[in-house]
Order: sequence, then structure tokens, then C-alpha cells
Amino acid sequence: MNGVTRSSEATSAIAAAYAERRRRAMPSGVWGVALLVATEAALFGTVLASYYYLRFDAARWPPAGIEPPDVALPLALTGALVLTSVPVLLATVAARRAQVGSARGLLLLALLVQAGYLAVQILLFKRDLGVFSPRDTAYGSIYFTLLGLHHLHVVVGLLLELGLLVKLLGGLTNYRVIGVRAVAIYWYFVNFMAVLVVLTQLSPSL
Amino acid sequence: MSAQSRARSLLVAGLVLGGGLVGCGGDQSALDPESGQSRAIADLWWWMLIAATIVFLGAVGLLLLAWVRRGSEGFPFFGKSERVSVGLVLTFGIFIPIVSLIALFVVANLSVAEGTDAPEKGSTSMTVEVVARQWFWEVHYPGTGAVTANEIHIPARTRVNLVAKTDDVIHSFWVPRLNRKIDMIPGRTNRILLDADRPGRYRGQCAEFCGLQHAHMGFVVFADPPGRFRAWLAGQERDRRAPTTPERKRGERVFLDEACSGCHTIRGTSAAGRVGPDLTHVASRTTLAGNTIPNDGRYLRQWVLDPQHVKPGNKMPALDLSKAEARDLLDYLESLR
Amino acid sequence: MATVATPAAQRHLDRLERIWAEREGLTGWLTTTDHKRIGLLYLFASLAFFAAGGVEALLIRTQLLVPNAGVLSPDAYNEVFTMHGVTMVFLFVIPISIGAFGNYLVPLMIGARDMAFPRMNALSFWLFLGSGLFMYVGLFLGNGPDAGWFDYVPLASKQFTPSSGIDFYALGLIFNGVSTTAASINFIVTIFKLRAPGMSLNRMPLFCYAFLAVSFALVFALPPLTAALSFLELDRRLGFHFYDVASGGDPLLWQHLFWIFGHPEVYIIILPAFGIATSIIPTFVRRKMVAFPLVALAEILVAFIGFGVWAHHMFAVGLATITTIYFAAASLIIVIPSGIQLFAWITTIFTGTPRFKTPLLFILGFIVFFIMGGLTGIMFAAIPFDQQTTDTYFVVAHFHFVIFGAAVFPILGGFYYWFPKVTGRMYHEGVGKLSFWLTFAGTAVTFFPMHIVGLLGMPRRQYTYPPDLGWSFLNFLESIGSYVLGAGLVLIVANLAVSLLRGERVGNDPWGGDTLEWSATSPPPAYNYPVIPRVTSPYAMWDRDDRQADARRLERGELTLERGHETPASTVLDAEWDEILEMPSHSWMPVLLAAALAAVFTMLLLGHWVTAGAFSAVAALVLFGWHMQEPQEA
Repeated sequence: MNGVTRSSEATSAIAAAYAERRRRAMPSGVWGVALLVATEAALFGTVLASYYYLRFDAARWPPAGIEPPDVALPLALTGALVLTSVPVLLATVAARRAQVGSARGLLLLALLVQAGYLAVQILLFKRDLGVFSPRDTAYGSIYFTLLGLHHLHVVVGLLLELGLLVKLLGGLTNYRVIGVRAVAIYWYFVNFMAVLVVLTQLSPSL
Repeated sequence: MSAQSRARSLLVAGLVLGGGLVGCGGDQSALDPESGQSRAIADLWWWMLIAATIVFLGAVGLLLLAWVRRGSEGFPFFGKSERVSVGLVLTFGIFIPIVSLIALFVVANLSVAEGTDAPEKGSTSMTVEVVARQWFWEVHYPGTGAVTANEIHIPARTRVNLVAKTDDVIHSFWVPRLNRKIDMIPGRTNRILLDADRPGRYRGQCAEFCGLQHAHMGFVVFADPPGRFRAWLAGQERDRRAPTTPERKRGERVFLDEACSGCHTIRGTSAAGRVGPDLTHVASRTTLAGNTIPNDGRYLRQWVLDPQHVKPGNKMPALDLSKAEARDLLDYLESLR
Repeated sequence: MATVATPAAQRHLDRLERIWAEREGLTGWLTTTDHKRIGLLYLFASLAFFAAGGVEALLIRTQLLVPNAGVLSPDAYNEVFTMHGVTMVFLFVIPISIGAFGNYLVPLMIGARDMAFPRMNALSFWLFLGSGLFMYVGLFLGNGPDAGWFDYVPLASKQFTPSSGIDFYALGLIFNGVSTTAASINFIVTIFKLRAPGMSLNRMPLFCYAFLAVSFALVFALPPLTAALSFLELDRRLGFHFYDVASGGDPLLWQHLFWIFGHPEVYIIILPAFGIATSIIPTFVRRKMVAFPLVALAEILVAFIGFGVWAHHMFAVGLATITTIYFAAASLIIVIPSGIQLFAWITTIFTGTPRFKTPLLFILGFIVFFIMGGLTGIMFAAIPFDQQTTDTYFVVAHFHFVIFGAAVFPILGGFYYWFPKVTGRMYHEGVGKLSFWLTFAGTAVTFFPMHIVGLLGMPRRQYTYPPDLGWSFLNFLESIGSYVLGAGLVLIVANLAVSLLRGERVGNDPWGGDTLEWSATSPPPAYNYPVIPRVTSPYAMWDRDDRQADARRLERGELTLERGHETPASTVLDAEWDEILEMPSHSWMPVLLAAALAAVFTMLLLGHWVTAGAFSAVAALVLFGWHMQEPQEA
């Protein structure tokens, strides 16, 4: 029938790869995640804009008594996070080529680095909280909220990868290949936002 | 309102509103301007109304005509021409709107707005500072010691720089017959021009929802002849009239001993509360409770002894006074001219 | 279209019936993923909230019937007008437009068998219902939000409103936003991917253009609201300082964020009404829409330009002159796409041969009120005039003409128009016309005098007014008008309710409609269409050749997609057939996930942070369970 596939019947890695090749347009699941990314990007955009709004309102930023943030470690961490886009991208390539093992391995690699990133970021977050508080100044409020929002998105990303890995234990299907593509788009977005967030966080020192 | 503009407004009102309009006047009416600024806005309104009425009647007319011609397709004379249809859409949907909107923009936002914006520094003769509080207006005359509440006096035909501030929530200072409204926002100082054409009494009201008694946060602006204004201001600057009769002396004692002095200031006594209005010359004011009730003996009594009945939710508690204490206190307050 | 199927066709119809059979009873409704059932759930829930908002309106008008009426105390009044605004915007007009009309009709109009994400569709409904109940629980506990639907700070801060009403508002609206965002994503993907092969974008009905535009607008407009509400809750519950001046915050940050959402929101409110109007007009004037591409473009432009004008709600705040001038200019630009649509509709009506049935009457009422509200809207772009009349009843008049007169009238007309399709019965035309005139007169009498009383100096949001300012008669008139309006609305509901039981039965296409849904039975079967429809223009029902081609396909069993719960997916622009999708059917996951999220929000309201975290973990598990079921296992 016009050579159109019933993609849901692709329940093996090879069949899924075939369905991927035959497909001309982005599947619904990928569109869905792209739009989710758009709305979350608008959310980040709003919080970032609020940071700059409060900053331009202020005579001193950070206010007196708070040191401008250290630059080196956050930048390095962000660099590491951004680099995880590479294994994530390669994982999607592998999944679309029915290479289940590679897909799993690459996703796991990305997950471990991202988890490491998050762990260090949480330590830095707690350290900052010991120095100044979101309950004292608007600077503190927007600083911790912006970082917290970003870290929450990283947590969600880790959970998505974890869920995906669990499903990939059972092999690839059309649904799971689309899942890998979707999670990948989510991570490209998180990594991109990480750059904007860290540059904003560090802006008083840059 | 000049005879000519009154005639015009009545004519338009009658035409358009079919008698529904209950006069354009009223103490707080934007259509009864008493300053150059308000008049410019009111005139702008009447021109916009005329243009809007023409557009509205035109469109409704087309729809009525569509009903009349419901049996036939296309246009009279032009028939079923798609080109004419699209041409109509382009003309009335794009070209005519563009021209009229540019005209409106230039007139309203480049010309009229110049007068209604905050006055340039140095272009005014005096300054009055109003601090909005839930739910009354604290009025200061910088450069003098005069402090009053809910009743503002300005000299007529004088450019007055009205400074609008607040420390609690957002309020809005609005005297429609003198100018547009200006919001009062914590952390910001806004300014507006008051320039009354002639002496008179102008009603104002808070125009930004500010809580329970937003409805009763009114005030009055008196534009006085310059001599009368100066006398008024000098009176307001003085400390309170010291009580001379035994009743009033007892009344002052009641005021200072009860909760009153914790919230109110009476200059010349030890009462220096800042929660409620300055009462040094309370009896000189024409209204009470934010222009909610007239300032006469009966209403003053009700306000002081049962404030929650007059303005439920306001911050003044009911006092527990004996009849003698109440009588003396009221006598004292009525003496504070 | 044959009303009695041949034996060959019947075999296919029976098979599709079996595959798509809806479960019966309460379980069936709780687990449904069918877009039509979800549309009906949205319809009844929104109507219930409409009734609540209507009662609130009548309470307001009764309190204002005379000065010092004493019907509502000041704090009760403040809760009532706040909930009236919140209910009408978030719990009525958006859910009924997008959730009811959109859900029911978009898949039918594009020739699909369901939405792109059927389970997420159900989730949107349960989240909406949950958010509405959440906010109303606050009201019934005597703790309703009371700082107005736009909830300005510092009034809404903990210092000035310590009671939890504001928390019900903030958390409830974030919760509501999740529902609407999910629905918007669903519509965009559905309209992009699930159009019948052959329905390229330029062959899509204008109704769908309106819904596509509205969904994109929501995706970008809701986040600023979410951010504003989150900052508010962080300030109130955790002592943060986004909005308080003393610690470097700014109350105007709330206003900017709120209106960056709030202005697009009003175009979001009106766009579906535009879509409904562009469906009803061609049918009842028996003529295609004039300047179709311009109208489609205008619908998209309205959504887009709406993002650039927000600070026209802040002209009295004291912003820099250059800022105010920019926003006034941008606000004037929006007039153009609105004007294009208005004159396209008027010209179409004029050059067609109109049948003045009830649905068209409501569209005519819509046009009249839209012009009136639009004209006063233009007046607000004159900055000094805005600064005189903002926060007065003049603005209350303006927005009720556009939100009620212009956004709701097409909804009422739409009820009448699609009633036969959804129920298979016709309503009573005479009563329909009467209900129109009552509603129209009631609307005019309630809201027109508000222009006058606003110019006479009456500010908005006050629980009473003095008797000596010339406002009394007009307020009295407005209140009488509101009772007439209420009667009109009750008559509409009564007409439809009685007709549901006793209306004359009708076939597929009682009106001679122009879009695809009129080719399906009334009501449509669960699978919508037995074959993939052939589409060569936006007026699919008026292309008789295509509809006959469909009948022949059914006979031959071609393109019936009856191997499972199937619907075609196409490319975005040209709708070339790309693959066949297997859609999920009944599932408990949406209801479970909605319940878990409701628990999260409740715990946040109560301040039980750890328990909220626990329920978030539950929600994550439900979400994982959701994705355990893959389409091939359906």
C-alpha cells in the first residue's frame, strides 16, 4: 500500500532501523519533545531575563557583602557537560543503525559524566548556600533559583536516560529508537541552556 | 466646560447613546475637565468617539444590508467579483486602518502626551508630595512643615508638581478632572502635573486595587485662589490649637493615653504615630475616612467610636471609652481646625 | 453519501467498530483516550466552571445594583471578583475552546482518527479538572484568592495577604498551565503530522489554522506566567525577594512577567473564536471565505504580534516615555490582522446568500461586539486616554466586549452549529433565535453602560460606590442587563438539553457544511472515518468528487487501515503519506499521573516539602509505567 510502513510493527532493531530509513518526516514523538524544549526554553529565557532585569535595577551587583562568583570550576564543569552531547548524538546514530550495544554503552557513558557533573554542582550549590542566602537579597533569590531550575532539568534528563536504558535492556523497537532521539534532543537543550546559565551566573565576574 | 464644547458633547452623547448618558458631569468625571491636560484628553476622546461611531455604524450597516440583500450573491453593480471582494478587504482591513492609526498615534502619543507626561523639572512652581497608604493619603508640602491627609489644596492656575509615592502596596493617584492617573509603586517616585484652570473642588480616588477598602480610598483636591491657599498652608504648618476648655484638655489626655497616639500624629503633642493620618488639623478637612463620610459631628462620632462599621477592615480599632471620655475626645478633635 | 452501506462496505465498518470499541461505564470514561469523549469531558467540566463564574458575576452585579447594597462584605467581594476572572479565563474559555471544540473537531477536520498523543490528551483533561477543583477548594474553605485575577504584588505578597488564598491561586495556575501546555503540544503535532494524506497546509480549514496559531502562542506564553507564579510562591513560602524593594527586588517584575503572558493570553482567548467563525460563515452564506490566504496569515500574525505589546497594560506605571511610545505603536499594529479578518468575514457574508439561522446570528453578534471592543481597544493605544481610563469601568467594558461578546458568542454559536453532529439531533430553531436575542440584548445592556460610568470616574474592583456621582442608574441598568444575559444563557442550555432528548433526528450533514466532519455520521463512530479521506481543497465537503471517491474506496476496502487502532501520519507541509501509526486506546495512566501531580501540588500548598517530593517520585514512576506500554502491545 504505497510502500508505507506500519512502524509500530517494527519490534526488532533491524526492523526499527528500516522504519527509520523509510520515514521522511520527523516522527510525532520527536516533534513532541522539540515543542517541550521550546516551552522550557521560554521558561529559562524568562528566568534569565529576570536576572538581568533585577541586575539593571540594582546599584551594586552582587550587593555589598557578597563576593562575585569564582569562574574556573563552573566553566570547566559546563564544558564537560556540553561534551556529553557527543556520546548522546552517537547513541542516536547507533540506535538508528540497529546497534543496540553501542547505543546502550554511549548512553551509559553520557549518563555517568552527567551524573558526575550534577554531583559536583550540588556540592557547589550547598557551598554557596553557606556563604549567602536566597532569603537575604534579590541577587541570592535569582541566583539560586536559576541554578536550581537548571539542576532540576539535569535531574530529569538523568531519569530519562535511566528509563531509556532500562527499556533498551529489552532491545530496540521503533518506539525506543524514537525515544533515544527524543531524549537526545532534550539533552542538547539542557547542555545549551547550561552554557547560558553559567555565563549568566558568572556574569558579575566576567 | 465652555458653552461650545458642552453643546458638542451633549449632541454627540444624544446621537450615539440614545439618551442613555446621564449627563457628562459629575465630581469625578473625565468628561468634565478643569485643566488643560484633562481637556486635551477629553477632546481626544470626543474625536475618537466620532471616528469610532462612523466605523461601527458603517460595519453594522453593511451587515444590515447583507440581510436586506440576502437573496442575491455578490455586489450590487460589481456582481460576483472576487477581485472587488479582496480589494475591499485590503482597503478597509489594511490601507484605511494604517492611515487612521498613524494619525491617531501622532495626535495622541506625540502631541497630547507631551502635556500629560510628568512635568519637566523646573517647569512647575511648587511641589506637593502624596504618600499613599492603605487606605488613606498622606499629604506633605516639602519646604514647609505642613502635613495633612485626604485633602489636598493647591493654588489655582499654578503648575504644581505632584510627587506620588507609597511604602506599602501599589495605589494610583487619580483626579480625572485635573489629569490622568499615575500609579504609586514602592521603590519608585512618580510625578504628575496638577494645573487647575480655576478654583474648585475636585474629587479623586485610588485607581489601583489595594486591598479591602480600595473602594473607600478617596480624596479631594481644592484649587484655591492664591491668597486663600497661602492662608490655608500657613494654618496647616502650625502646631495644633492648644485646648483651652477643660473638656478639650481632658479630650487631649484621652487621645494621648488611649491607643490613638500610637497610630496618629498631632503636632504640638507627644503623639507621633505614623500608622494613620496626621490629625493636627483634622477639623479643617471637609471629609473623613478617605472621603467616605462628611466631616461633621455625627459622622466624626461614628468614625471614631465604631470605625469598623464605617469602613470594615480598616486598621483603626474600636476604642473602649466611657461616654464622658468619648464626648471630651470628640470635642477636642472638633477643635483641631 | 450513502446512508445504507453495501454488504462489502458493512464488513469494513463492523471490523472498525470492533477494533475501536469504547469501554462502557465509569471505567470507560476514566480510561478513555478517544478525542471525542475527552472533548465532551472538557465540555461538561468547563460548563460547570462557566456556571460558577456566572454565579460570581451575578453576585458582583447584585452587590453593585445599588450603592451600599450589603450583599457581599468587602473581603467576600474581593474573593468573588478574583475567582470570577480566574474561572472565566483559565477554567472556562480556554478549556472549552481548546479542550472541547479543539479536541472534538480538529482530528475530524483533518481526516484523522485521533490526536497525536491520545493518552496525553486524557492527561490534559484530568489535570485541568484537578487544577479547577484545587482552586475552588480554597474558595470553599473560605480562603479564596482575593487580590484580583492579575494578583499584583506587593498586595499579593505574604506581608499584605498572609492567608493561603494566594497560594491556592499560584499553585493552582501552575498546575493548570501543565494541562494547557500538554494540550498545545498535542494540537501542534496533530495538525502537523496527522492530516489526511493530500491535505497540504494550504488545503487545511481555517479552523485548524486558528488552533495551530493558538497552540504555538500558548507554548511560548505560559512559561512567563509559570515563572512569575513560582517567584511569587518562593517569596511567600520560602522568604525569597524577587518582588520586594527593600532587598533589591521589584514589584514591576511581576507586572512585566504577568503581562508578557497576559497579553498573548487574550489573543489566545479570541483565536479559537475566529476559527469557529470561519467555519460557520462559509456554511451559512454558501460561499467560500474571501481572501482565504490573507485570513490564514492574519490568524497567525495575531498570535505572533500579541507578544510584543504587553506593557500597554502598564501605561500608568511611570515607565520611560520611549518605552510607552513603543508599546503604543506596537499595539496599533495588531489592528491590521484583526481588520483583515473582520472585513473578510463581512465581505463573505455580504457577497454570499446568507441563511440567518441561530449559528450565523451568534457570529453576527460576535462581529458587532468584536468591532465595538476592537474600537475601544484602539482608543487605549492613545496613551493619555489610556492613562485616564485604565483601571476604570471603561476597561471593564472593553474587555468584556472582546472576551465575552467576541470570544464567547462564537462558542455559543458553535454549540448550536455542531450540536447536530455531536448528538444526531437538531435543536429548536425558534427557541435558538430567542436565546440569541436575549443573550445579545443582555450583553449589550450589561456592558455598554460601563463605558459611560468609567468615563464618569468609576474605578474598577470596588465593592460599592457613592450615590452622588451619577453612577447609580447606570450600575442598576448593568445589573438588570446581567440578569437578562443570565436568562439568555440558561435558555441556550435548556434548548440544547431538551433537544438532546426530543430533538428531530438528523443525518450526517443537515447544514451543507464545508469541512470534513460533516461527512461522518452524526455522531461520528469511534474511528471517525472508515477510509482515509481524499482531500483537494480546504472545503472538503463541497468537493463531491472526492467524497464519492471515498465511498468507492470503502467498497473496495482500500485505505481503511483496519489492522489495528490505526491512523496515517504525513509530512508536515505537503501531507505526503509517511507511515501508519498505531494509536493507544484505554489506559489508567493519565488519571493516575494527574492524581499524583494533584498530590504534589496539594503537598506544596500545605508546605509538606518532603511529601511533595515523594509524590513527585510517584509521578515519575507512573510516567515510566506509561512508557512501558508500547504501541505494538496495544
